[in-house]
Amino acid sequence: MKFQRHSPSSLNLFAASPALFVLEKIMGHRQPGSAPMYRGTAVEDGVTHGLLNLAAPLDECSAVALKKYDTISALSGDKRREEYRITIPDMVKSALEELRPYGIPTECQKFVEWKPKGLAYPIVGFLDYHWADHNITIDLKTTEKMPSSVKVAHARQISLYVTSNNADARACYVTPKKHATYQIENVDAHRNALHQMAMRCEAFLALSEDPEFFKSITIPDLDSFYWGGPARQLAFEHWGI
Amino acid sequence: MALGLNYSSGGNGGDIVPFVKYDARAGRMFRRDRTQDSSGAYVSDDVDITSTFKAVFDLENIEVGFSKFGAGAAPEHLFVKLGDPMPQKPADTGFKQGARIMMKLAANCGGDIREITGNSTAFLKGIDDLHTAYEAGKAANPGKLPVVILKTALPITSGSGAKKSTNYQPVFEISGWAPRPNDLVHVAKSAGQQATQAGPAAAPSTGSTQVSAPQAAKQLEPAGADDFG
Repeated sequence: MKFQRHSPSSLNLFAASPALFVLEKIMGHRQPGSAPMYRGTAVEDGVTHGLLNLAAPLDECSAVALKKYDTISALSGDKRREEYRITIPDMVKSALEELRPYGIPTECQKFVEWKPKGLAYPIVGFLDYHWADHNITIDLKTTEKMPSSVKVAHARQISLYVTSNNADARACYVTPKKHATYQIENVDAHRNALHQMAMRCEAFLALSEDPEFFKSITIPDLDSFYWGGPARQLAFEHWGI
Repeated sequence: MALGLNYSSGGNGGDIVPFVKYDARAGRMFRRDRTQDSSGAYVSDDVDITSTFKAVFDLENIEVGFSKFGAGAAPEHLFVKLGDPMPQKPADTGFKQGARIMMKLAANCGGDIREITGNSTAFLKGIDDLHTAYEAGKAANPGKLPVVILKTALPITSGSGAKKSTNYQPVFEISGWAPRPNDLVHVAKSAGQQATQAGPAAAPSTGSTQVSAPQAAKQLEPAGADDFG
């Protein structure tokens, strides 16, 4: 097994679907990206360009995002590919309206690593934007529907990013039409949740060195969206259901 | 602890670690000595050691967190070792970000184990610069701690009109490196930490308060073609 580090997303996956965690992280069957995932990455590129170049026109920032989207989704079979593509310029505009008032970030895509006592592997991630002059860290989230509060998984993820600097942790949600930034509350508690998840994940991993063993103690929930798409066939091949 | 000193009371008696204090308003360093008078009562005496200040700093174990120095009350601290997750900031607005370092004073300014804590911006800037210098030099001095002197203090003026004030940022300098003194044994400052780390009574909320960019940042506009100088 080549398990080397935790991430907030892998720990959330472990909690949500242990069988898919086994499939992806232990057996190495990474699921292909999706249109929403590609859009998030692309919008972030366009927004980063617009933040590092405050005078850059929106068209230029959108072009950066669209080029990224087309590049990373070139081989995607996701039927929503075009539907999501056309929303990218509005999302870039929406995000820059929200984030340009903060000024130029001092750090973008900064690697963060946390290894609390008791863990064999560190929990790692990349924060989106940090403004050292205000000690504010913001993670950008693209979504179809504006949430009324920070999602739990996001609170955990962003709490990890402010482990060493105690920054004001914020989540910026953007839809094609709306944008809102929420302050993360109870940062310690959410970061501790990640720690707890990681400890249980490691206890799980310690059960065996044999990937096949983990198939014998998990089972996919085929009604879950996790098992749509290509994962459905893999569930049949590996679990026989 | 070679001298059998107890650096932390561990109870309600408060902090009994001898300390030095940096007065940011005056730019002076003092050693607080406690002695018993003829009646047996303890009295405090602040000895100015600004010009002679020299100590081995345990920057390997520098602690950061929040401190409250309330008038007429014992200081309160919530510290963790630098690099560990910061403690939750107390709701009490009297708590400000602070730092704590243990040290062994040079013989000519006391020669004993002390700690220094502070939460003024000027103090923290001075400590931050010192720590940067420590980080830059520690690889070349394995197993050693920096010998630190107080080189000078820089005036920093803030506010205007009636609210104008001047504080003095300490400028520390690493004058050398020395093996850790036997009696410089780090003992974490954990007062109050236990209560802070107690679990919440209910599931923690994630946050639903919308926030905007800081006002000052809104002035950060890109320079236009008409901007000069």
